[in-house]
Amino acid sequence: MASELAFRWNFLMKIALELLWLVILLTFYKTLFAKTSIISGWTEGEYLFFVGCYYTLEGVIESLFLENATEFAELIRKGDLDFYLLKPVDEQFLVSFRKFDWSTAPKILIGGGLMGIALFQLDWVFDPLKVVGFVFLFSGGVALSYGFLLALASTSVWLVRNQSLLELWWLFTTLMRYPREIYQSGWAWSLWVFFSLVVPAMLVVSIPSEIMVRSLDPFWSFWVIASSLLVLWASRRFFQLAIRSYRSASS
Amino acid sequence: MNSLGKLSLVPGHPKAPGFLGSIGKYMNILRVSLVERLAYRGDFLLGTVLRFLPMISAIFLWKAVYQGAETEVLSNYTYSQVIAYLLLVHISRMFSSMPGLAAGVARDIRDGNLKRYLIQPLDFMAYLLAYRGAHKIAYIATSALPYLGLFTLCSGYFETTPSLATLGLWLITLFLSFLLGYFFELTLGMLGFWMLEVSSFLYLVNTLNFFVSGHFFPIDLMEPEGLATILKMLPFQFLAYFPAAVFLDKIPIQQIIPLVGVQILWVVFFALAARILWRLGLKRYSAFGG
Repeated sequence: MASELAFRWNFLMKIALELLWLVILLTFYKTLFAKTSIISGWTEGEYLFFVGCYYTLEGVIESLFLENATEFAELIRKGDLDFYLLKPVDEQFLVSFRKFDWSTAPKILIGGGLMGIALFQLDWVFDPLKVVGFVFLFSGGVALSYGFLLALASTSVWLVRNQSLLELWWLFTTLMRYPREIYQSGWAWSLWVFFSLVVPAMLVVSIPSEIMVRSLDPFWSFWVIASSLLVLWASRRFFQLAIRSYRSASS
Repeated sequence: MNSLGKLSLVPGHPKAPGFLGSIGKYMNILRVSLVERLAYRGDFLLGTVLRFLPMISAIFLWKAVYQGAETEVLSNYTYSQVIAYLLLVHISRMFSSMPGLAAGVARDIRDGNLKRYLIQPLDFMAYLLAYRGAHKIAYIATSALPYLGLFTLCSGYFETTPSLATLGLWLITLFLSFLLGYFFELTLGMLGFWMLEVSSFLYLVNTLNFFVSGHFFPIDLMEPEGLATILKMLPFQFLAYFPAAVFLDKIPIQQIIPLVGVQILWVVFFALAARILWRLGLKRYSAFGG
């Protein structure tokens, strides 16, 4: 936090940028629901919860992992990764949680606020089981995103300069930004199957949101938890393989 | 007498190259920059393909919106027209976006690299225009094939074939959007004379620009309705929305010509703004080092 505040102007600009994205997201949402009252079965209030959930999840990933993942390539390129490998702490932990990006942290609170407003609009009745289920499924969504980012970042060991990482992450978020039901028609079915079963990007926000404001989908909820554990395990193995292939670049 | 004897030893400036000589100079810059850019055509192709993938989400989202609304037309746009619009703004952006221009200018000012240009018989703004022109030609040339494939694949979303007059006007608006995008970014870059670090500010402006230029969806659909009216008064609509709307015949032909005039005025405004900031900035610019 102190290092971020050393560049106050830059820090404030980053926060302003996040707020701008929120305004864009909400204007888009308002525009859509000015034209229709329902989108693939999602009502306005339910969709607002989805938007809040997406915004929170993005805030968690960006605050905790995104900057660390993108800087991993720099550590390799400059040979600075050596310092981390020498420490008696798990390398994945050190690389993943090196920095916390405070400028994106307000997204977590704002997203939470949006979810709260949506629940209020929907006259939601408190149900502890739903909340516990949401926390589990949301954590599953975070784990899936983190695993995907870690696997992408690990490729930096071979590619050295991994400029496409942010672009691929952005594509991943594109798939989780809208309810999964929009893909369940026409030729998008094949996409829906691939990005739900193989790379479950389309489930990351949809499934946690559904348990809170719609209904529990037992099969896909199970798959979010199971696939997140699988992805965490596979991405760790991949990271360790990458570390074993790492050749120091320093003198 | 050796060849040295033929050289004029009279001190003074070399003969001015004249207007045609100047044009030739910038054409050479364009040619060299073109060769440089085409060295990375693989990157271009990959970038083009990746840029279109989010279109798939947009196609199905809008399909769900039209199905939910149970109507064929929303704010004068059919579903096919919205998708055709979203495809066409990629073409608009292909002309008007200037990635890294403002940041590069600001960096050159901050690092003192500007002196490279100041000591040469070059006009900085004309040099960059030739350089960016080469970028655009290279980009359009390398992405023409994937774009053609994609537009053929999506030809069903284009309900009517535009007339030759519409196509002509569309090309004019695209060329003007290139000039507008260039001078707008250049004006932003000139702020580097007064601000040490502009990257976050530029990112903010570009994000806002992306939205208010109508890149996400047609400005006509924007809610609340008053917002669309405001956005149509700003220069940003000419960077994405306007060329696409011209192509789709969304603007009556009698309104297009005056709007092209407005677009030209904005180009002149930003060209002058950049030139004035350049002159003011140079008065306070000082470069150190070897």
